[in-house]
Amino acid sequence: MSHPATAISSVKLAWALSWAAFWTGFPFKVIVALLLLAAQVHPWEGTGLITLLMVSAPIDIWALGLTARTFFLERMGIEVRGPVGIGLWWQGAVLGAGMLGVAYYAVGTTAALCKKAAEATLGVVKKVIPIPVAEQITIELLMWAVPATIVLIMCLLIWLKLFGWRIKRFVVASGQTSSAGLQERVREWDAWRVPADSVLMLISFTAVAVLLTVAFWVLLPVTTPHRHPDYPPPQADAVKKKVKPEELLKKTEGTLAKAEAVLGSLEEEKAKEKKGKPKGK
Amino acid sequence: MNALLQKVYDFVDERIDLKTLEAKMMKEPIKGGSRWAYVFGSVLLFIFIMQAVTGVLLMFYYIPSADHAYASTQFIIHEVDYGWFILSYHFWGSSAMVVMVFAHMSQVFLWGAYKTPREMIWLVGLALFGIVMAFGFTGYLLPWDQRAYWATTVGVEIMDKTPVVGDFLARFLKGGPTPGQMTLSRFFVIHVMVLPGALMGLAGLHLFLFRSAGPAGPFRGTPEELKAKTDFFFPRQVWKDIVAMAAVFLTICSLALIEPVVLLEEAKPDPGDYHPEPEWYFLFLFQLLRWKIFAGEFGQFLGATAIPAAFMLLLAALPFIDRSPERNIFKRPIALLSWTVVMIGILVLTVSAIINREFLD
Repeated sequence: MSHPATAISSVKLAWALSWAAFWTGFPFKVIVALLLLAAQVHPWEGTGLITLLMVSAPIDIWALGLTARTFFLERMGIEVRGPVGIGLWWQGAVLGAGMLGVAYYAVGTTAALCKKAAEATLGVVKKVIPIPVAEQITIELLMWAVPATIVLIMCLLIWLKLFGWRIKRFVVASGQTSSAGLQERVREWDAWRVPADSVLMLISFTAVAVLLTVAFWVLLPVTTPHRHPDYPPPQADAVKKKVKPEELLKKTEGTLAKAEAVLGSLEEEKAKEKKGKPKGK
Repeated sequence: MNALLQKVYDFVDERIDLKTLEAKMMKEPIKGGSRWAYVFGSVLLFIFIMQAVTGVLLMFYYIPSADHAYASTQFIIHEVDYGWFILSYHFWGSSAMVVMVFAHMSQVFLWGAYKTPREMIWLVGLALFGIVMAFGFTGYLLPWDQRAYWATTVGVEIMDKTPVVGDFLARFLKGGPTPGQMTLSRFFVIHVMVLPGALMGLAGLHLFLFRSAGPAGPFRGTPEELKAKTDFFFPRQVWKDIVAMAAVFLTICSLALIEPVVLLEEAKPDPGDYHPEPEWYFLFLFQLLRWKIFAGEFGQFLGATAIPAAFMLLLAALPFIDRSPERNIFKRPIALLSWTVVMIGILVLTVSAIINREFLD
């Protein structure tokens, strides 16, 4: 009798597990990314990237373990002994890292070559038929994006094929078919994943959400990190400058005295002008 | 504490029959069990509620006048505590709503869930799609910067090309020869009064029709298999909905932090160096209109009005044209091919529009 793992294609198996694991881990990773962003640390570079990768690895191991166990039990009727998540994750990660490098090079090269070819082809065509800019942009885009997408999909399929092959080997080596009481095991596993005490689960979920919300608002900058040129940030020195009432009074008195003197001289001048003018005119 | 809660529950139950309501809400049978594919409707409702909450917060400071709209929006961004984040959340929330509407409509289309007896749910859903697009269009003008002003000008000009009602609609929305105070007032009222009311009413009708007809269930499996897997709405589907809502909420927050709203210059009737263009989800249509085939009066009418209107009419007529009971998408090649072509077309034209923008800049 053939092993249940051989009945499913490697690509389908790897896709089913990695797709489900990705979405299982996604909300947790976004929480980390969001807290980093709120703290003004970019999660795609430097410390932020390292932190995100460090946190993502255990999340992925847990998510892959959970989805793989479910898939093996419900679809194949197989129970796997030992740690499933880590056993599959390192293989997927090594293959993924290798394939990512290959894909980066292959897709980049294909896109660059096709862009050149598209430019040359359209250059020749334009000598015969004029092509408006908008149409040219779409034609050029299709000419390089379609081959690049095909190469990307091929790379993804190769990764899925290899990962699926490793998953099958893993299942054959560590799994055991449980014929007796399988339905009972499926029911147990299913019940385990649904909280028995829904109220307690809801309260815990709310508590964690409140805690994370508080952390988020504490970290979040009060004013925008992207200021408009017409709205310069308030001058810290100007705000800090203390008012001394005595000095201010003296200064104001001085200003008033000066103003009085100017007013006096103006009045004198006016009086002189009046005297100097001949009567009747 | 539990005893007190029980007393409160009993008090309410005695008066409004809470137990029956709870049973109806939570014990809704789901054919074939809970699915991640069913989360889009709930997520849409969640995004709308969040848009309403952030919209109300923004209205505390926003002034809908041509003299103060820009300054009040800048005040929200630069002076109000966390105002920049609330505004950015509201901005990205509107995009998330459009994406989620597309996802929801795609799921219903691909799963053949528009077929008998769910035609009315589909039709009301299409009207809701129109309302979501109108929300985006009217909200875009409110910051009153160059981007807002010119996107609205382009949008209204496109609307103007509609035969019979186009001229009336354009004049009604603008309230004058060029966008000004009347335009802003009208867009504001439509955005904060008319559309939310229409959306709440139609969403309620959509839900009522959905509960009356019941969920369509998966497109694969015999009735016996589906019956065996049938589950209640609570707890599995509720849990999936909560997780999806949390993921969408976190994604919108992340986008608001990565790309917060930054205004351009205040609106003026001279575009200057700015190349007018609509919101990203109308970019595909905008790029299509740049094609030579759509040049001239007739071409513009064809691209801007006739083709989109024909497409919407086709979608509305879909449940009445497609009478086959077959729901499996892999056994409906025309439906699958059409959906793929439309999606790729929208994607290619949107990317083309972005490249075109870089070319113009």
